[in-house]
Amino acid sequence: MLNHIVESLRKEIESFKAEALVEKVGQVLEVFDGIAKVSGLSDLKSSEMVTFPNGETGVALNLEEDAVGIIILGDFSKIKEGDEVKATGRILEIAVSDNILGRVVNAMGAPIDGKGTIKTNKKYPIEKVAPGVITRQSVEEPVATGIKAIDAIIPIGRGQRELIIGDRQTGKTAIAIDAILNQKGQKMVCVYVSIGQKDSKLRKLGARLEAGGAMDYTVIVSAGASEAAAMSYIAPYAGVSIAEYFMDQGKDVLIIYDDLSKHAVAYREISLLLRRPPGREAYPGDVFYLHSRLLERACRRNSKYGGGSITALPIIETQAGDISAYIPTNVISITDGQIFLETDLFYKGIRPAVNVGSSVSRVGSSAQIKAMKKVAGTLKLDLAQFRELEAFSQFGSDLDDSTKRQLERGKRAVEVLKQLQYAPVKTEHQVGTLYALTKGFLDDVPVEKIKEFEAGLIEYSERNAKVFYKEIIENKMWTDKGEEQFKKAITDFKMSFQK
Amino acid sequence: MTKISPKNIAEAIYQATVGKSGNDLTLVLKRGAKMLKDKRLLPKSEDVLSFLQNILDEKSGTVRMKVVTAKEISSGDKKKLENEIKEKYKAEKVLSEFFEKRNLLGGMRIEIGDEVLDTTYKSKLSQLEKFLIQGK
Repeated sequence: MLNHIVESLRKEIESFKAEALVEKVGQVLEVFDGIAKVSGLSDLKSSEMVTFPNGETGVALNLEEDAVGIIILGDFSKIKEGDEVKATGRILEIAVSDNILGRVVNAMGAPIDGKGTIKTNKKYPIEKVAPGVITRQSVEEPVATGIKAIDAIIPIGRGQRELIIGDRQTGKTAIAIDAILNQKGQKMVCVYVSIGQKDSKLRKLGARLEAGGAMDYTVIVSAGASEAAAMSYIAPYAGVSIAEYFMDQGKDVLIIYDDLSKHAVAYREISLLLRRPPGREAYPGDVFYLHSRLLERACRRNSKYGGGSITALPIIETQAGDISAYIPTNVISITDGQIFLETDLFYKGIRPAVNVGSSVSRVGSSAQIKAMKKVAGTLKLDLAQFRELEAFSQFGSDLDDSTKRQLERGKRAVEVLKQLQYAPVKTEHQVGTLYALTKGFLDDVPVEKIKEFEAGLIEYSERNAKVFYKEIIENKMWTDKGEEQFKKAITDFKMSFQK
Repeated sequence: MTKISPKNIAEAIYQATVGKSGNDLTLVLKRGAKMLKDKRLLPKSEDVLSFLQNILDEKSGTVRMKVVTAKEISSGDKKKLENEIKEKYKAEKVLSEFFEKRNLLGGMRIEIGDEVLDTTYKSKLSQLEKFLIQGK
C-alpha cells in the first residue's frame, strides 16, 4: 500500500515541470475590509486576476497612476503590508463543464457542497460583452413557470428578462423555485445565483430542489452573507458565464439572480472602499451599468449563431413597497417586464401575491401558446375591472346584474389564480381551468369550493377529455372536437360535483 | 479637480531642471522643496524622490537590478549577468545590488522594476506544492 502511494507520488512529481517566467510583481501598500492597495504592477489590465502569497486571488478594479485597487476574493486576514502580489495575465474566469450540473459552487466556481472536486475542461471569462444584434432572435418560445398567474397574464419567453419585485416575505424566491421545479423535462438548464443570502436559506432551497428532482438540471452559485462583498459582486457574472457555457451548446438556460438589491449593496460597499465618488443613495455612478451589462447577456440567439437562450429572472427586494427607489427603477427599466408582489395580497391569502395591475411582460405575450392566449386574453382586464368594482361595491348594495356578474366572475378568477407553493401546474391544465373560468362554467360553483372543483376537474378531464389535452400539447391549440369533449367533461364533472 | 500625484510633481521637477546647472538648478530645487512644504506634501517627498529617480533612470537608460541568491556568486558571474541584462533591456548602464538569503536553497531571483525572474529552489518547491495539491 505504502509503496503504491510512493510510486504514484513519484509519477506525479515526474510529470511536474517548474517554469521560470518573468512575472510582474507588486507590493501590498495597505489592506482593509477586503481591499488591497498595491504598488507596482504597471501593466495590469482591468479585471485581471492577481495572486497573493497565501494563495488567495484578487481582481484589479481600480487602476490608478501609482497604485492598483484590488478586491480580495476570499480570506484577507492573512495578507499583510509588503506582501508580494503577482499578476496572472488572465482576466477573471470561471472553470465550467457539464459536470457542474447538480452542484453548489461559490462565485469562483469551486464546489461548496462537499461532493468532491468538479472536473472541468474549459474556462469562461466572468465579464463578457453581451451578444450583438446580429446574433439575436426575437422571443417566441415560452418558459412555462407552472404558475397560473404568470403563465396566463404575465407570460415569460425564452431569452426574456423578467424582474420579480416585492417586499421581503412576499414569495419572490418561491416563484423562482417553482419556475425551476417546473422545468423538469422541458430541456432547460437552470442556474440559481444566491447573492448575500443566509446559508440556512440556501440549504433549505437546495434540499427542496433535490427533493423535486430539479438538481439534475440545476447549478447553484452561492455568495453567502458571511462571505466578502467581492464574492457577492462577482457571483451573478459567474452565474451568467456558466449559463453562457450551456447556451453555447445550443441549450436553453433559465438564470435567477436572488437578489440584485444585495448585489448593488455589495458593489456600493466595494466602490466606497475603493474611494469612488458616491452618487444617489451612495451608490456609485456606474451602478446602472453594473446591472445592464449583466442582464444584457440574457438573450435568444438565432440558429445561425448556434441557437440557445438565456432567460433571466432577476429579483429585487423593495422597502415598504417603494418601487420608485434607485435600484428598483434602474432594474425595471432594464428588464422586459416585472412581476410585482404585494404584502397586502400575501396576507389576504392571495398567493402568489402577484399584483396583476402593476405587473407586465413586454415581450412574453408573443411567446404564449395560442390556446393560452385564447383563454387568458381578457383575464387581465377582467381582474383589473374586478378590483375597481370591488372597491366601489363596498359603498352601496344596489348593484345591477352585469356588475354583480362581473364581481362574481372576478372572485372566481382570483380564486383560480391562487396556487400553493411547490405545486406547479402543467400548461394544458392551466388552459383547461382558465377555459372553464372564462366560459362561465365556474360561475355557479361556490367561491370557497373553487379549488376543490379545479383539482377534481383536472383529474376528471385527464381521463375524459384526452383529445383536448393532447391537441394543446401537440398543436398548442384545441380543435372543435377537443373543445366539445372538454365542455362535456366539465358539464359531467359539475353534475357529479354538485351532488 | 484632479489630485496632484507624487508622479506629477516628480515630472514637473524634472521638466524644470532639464538643462539647468549651478545656481539655477539649486534655485529650482529650492522652489520645488518650498512648493512641497506650502502644499503640505512633504510626507510624500519619499515617493516624489523615488519617481524622480525612475524618470532619471529612464532618461539615462539605467536599469536597477536586485539579485538575491542562496550563496554568494563570483564576480565573473555577476559581470556576465549584468551584461545579459544590459542586452535584454537595451540599457546603457546596469546598477546592481547583490544579496544572499540562505532560505532560497539554490538558484537566483532577479528583480528589475516590477518584473521578477524567480528561479530559486524555494519557489520551485512551492510550485510543486501547489501542483500536488491542485493537480494542475
